[in-house]
Amino acid sequence: MNMPENQPPLSVLVIDDEAQIQRLLTVALEANGYKVSVAGEGRQGVAAAAQRRHDCIILDLGLPDINGIEVLKNLREWTQTPVIVLTVHDGEAEKVESLDSGADDYVTKPFNTAELLARLRATVRRANRGQTNEPLHRFGDLEVDLASRRVMRKGQPVKLTATEYVLLRMFVQHAGKVLTHQQILREVWGVGHEGQTQYLRVYIARLREKLEADPAEPVLFSTEPGVGYRLTEMAAVAA
Amino acid sequence: MNSPLLHKLVRFSLPNVPMVHCSPVSRGLSMARLLREPLRSTARLFAPMSGVSASLEAPWRQYVLASLVFAATTLLSFYMQEWVGYQAIALIYLLSVVLLALFINRGATFFGTVLTAAGWNFFFAPPAFAFNISDTYDNMMLLTYFVVTLTVGQLTTRLRAHRNAEMQAKLLVESERLGRTLLNSVSHEFRTPIAAITSAANSLHSTSVLTREQQNLVQEIESASARLNRVVQSLLSAARIQSGQIRPKLDWCDIADLVRVTLRGIKDQIYSHRVRIFIPKDLPLVKADFVLTEQALANLVLNGVVHTSPGTSLEITARIENGFLALAVADDGPGLPPDQLERIFDPFQRGGTTKPGGVGLGLAIVKGFIEVQGGRVIAANRDPGAVFTIYLNATDSPHLPHENL
Repeated sequence: MNMPENQPPLSVLVIDDEAQIQRLLTVALEANGYKVSVAGEGRQGVAAAAQRRHDCIILDLGLPDINGIEVLKNLREWTQTPVIVLTVHDGEAEKVESLDSGADDYVTKPFNTAELLARLRATVRRANRGQTNEPLHRFGDLEVDLASRRVMRKGQPVKLTATEYVLLRMFVQHAGKVLTHQQILREVWGVGHEGQTQYLRVYIARLREKLEADPAEPVLFSTEPGVGYRLTEMAAVAA
Repeated sequence: MNSPLLHKLVRFSLPNVPMVHCSPVSRGLSMARLLREPLRSTARLFAPMSGVSASLEAPWRQYVLASLVFAATTLLSFYMQEWVGYQAIALIYLLSVVLLALFINRGATFFGTVLTAAGWNFFFAPPAFAFNISDTYDNMMLLTYFVVTLTVGQLTTRLRAHRNAEMQAKLLVESERLGRTLLNSVSHEFRTPIAAITSAANSLHSTSVLTREQQNLVQEIESASARLNRVVQSLLSAARIQSGQIRPKLDWCDIADLVRVTLRGIKDQIYSHRVRIFIPKDLPLVKADFVLTEQALANLVLNGVVHTSPGTSLEITARIENGFLALAVADDGPGLPPDQLERIFDPFQRGGTTKPGGVGLGLAIVKGFIEVQGGRVIAANRDPGAVFTIYLNATDSPHLPHENL
C-alpha cells in the first residue's frame, strides 16, 4: 500500500499465543504488503527475532502465563528492533512498564486494524530515521531549531524558559513516541523527581499555552491517560 | 472471591472451558484448575486448626475441659502422692495447666489455674483437706505457681492470636490473588474473541471489493463488537470494584486536560449532544487517579446522553468548593425521580425512565471508581434536568517549581 514497488517488503514478527489473532494479524499485515512471521510463545519469539532481522515486532502482553514484559526486556538486551505491544484497555501499569522497558508504542486490544497499521508505519519510520543530525524540526505551525535553540510559531519567535525548552527538546527528539511521566521527569528534572507529576502537568499546560494553535484543543501535545504524553507528528495527523 | 458478581462471572464463563484449551500453548491456568485450587488451598491452610481446636470453639467447652483435666490430674496425683511428695504434685498440676493453655483461651486458663491451685492447697498441701497454708515455702510456691501459669496462658494466647492473624492474612492474599488471576483470565477469554471479530471486520472494511450492502453489514459487525466490548468492560470493572481489586494511583491531575481527554475518548458516542465545558483557568491541580476519574466522568456523560433527547446539551463544570473539587455533569432532561436519587448508584438500577442500552452498571462504576479514591458522587435535580457531581478532596496543594523567564 504505502510501500515503494522496488523495495523488499518490510517484515513483521508477531508474538501472540492466540491462533485466531495470529491468523488475523497475518491476513491484515500481508494485505498491506508486509512479510509476516509468527511465534506462539515468548521464548520462541525471542529465538525468531534472533534468527532473522525484522523491521518491527508486535508483542502481545495479555497472556496469563508468559510475561510479555520479560520477553521485551530480553529483546532489549540485544536488539533495537522496534516493538509495539498489544495491551488490554485498563492495563495502564502494563503500558507504562512496557514503555519503560523499551517498547516503542502500544495498541489497546481490541484494536482497530487501521490504527495498528498506522502505528506500525509510524514506528518503523521513526526507527529507520534513527538519530538524524537534522537540527530543524517542523510540526505544523511550529518550528524548532535544536542547533540554535530557536522556537518559532507561525514565523514568530516564541520565548521559552530553560525548563520549557529542555522539555520541548525531549519531545522533539522523540516525536511521535509516547514518553512516560517517569521518563520525562527523570530526563528534564533529574533522578529523584520521578514522583513530581505536578511539574509535568504545569509545564505541559505552559507549552500548550505557548505553542498550540488552540490551547483549549491541543493537537501537538496529546495526553495518554495514566501513561504519559506524545508529541504528535504532523504527518501522522494528516494521514 | 466473596463477590456475588464474580461468582456469576465464573459460572458464566464455565461453558467456555474448551476455549481455554484451544490455545496452542498450555495456559497453565484452566478454569477447572482455578476452581479446584481455592478448595485445596483453603483446606491446606485450615489443616493445623482442625481437630482439637475446632471442637473447642465454644467457651463453655473449654471450661469443661479445664475441669476434666483438673479432675484427672487430681486423681493421678492422689495415686502418685506416696512416691513423689506433695510439692512435686504442684509441678504435675503446673504441667497440666501449661498443656491446657495450648488449647484454651485466657479465661479458661485462669479458671484452670485457680482450680488447680485451690486443689493442690486443699488436697495435698499440709494440712490436707483444708484451705490454709502456714508454711512460707508453700506460700511462695503458690505465688510462683500463679505467676507461671498466668504468664504461660498469656503467651500461648498471644501466640495463637498471632498465628490466626497470619492465617487470615495469608487467606486474604491468597483469595485476592486468585480473584485477580480469575478476573484476568476471564477478561482475556472475553477480549480475545472480541479482538478477533473487530480486527476481522476492520480488515474486511478496508478492502474495496465489498458492495455497499456488504459494507453496511460489516459496519454493523463493527459497532456491535464495539458495544459488546463496552459491556464486557463494564462487567469487569464492576467485578473489580466488588472484589476490592481497584488500587487507585493518586497523582496530580490537570482537570481541564482530564475533561478534554474524556470527551475525546467517547466522541463517537456523544455526537448527538452538545457538550459545554466551564472550567476556571486558575483551577488548581487536584490529586486523583486520572484514569479512574476519566472513566467515571465518561460514564456520567454517556448516562446524560442516553437519558436526554438528541440535540440537547450537557454541561461539564469544575470548581473548588470547601476544599473539594466539584466536577459536575448537568443535563436538560427530565431529571430523576426524587426517590431514585439515593439508589441510582446501585448496580442494575436503571432510573425511572428506563431506556434501552447499557446493563445498568455505569453509575455503579462511577461510584466505585470515585469512592475508592476517597471521593463521593451525588445525584441531584435542577430545573430542568439532572446533575451528577463528583467530589474529590482538594485540600492538598502541590509543591510547584518556580522559574522566571
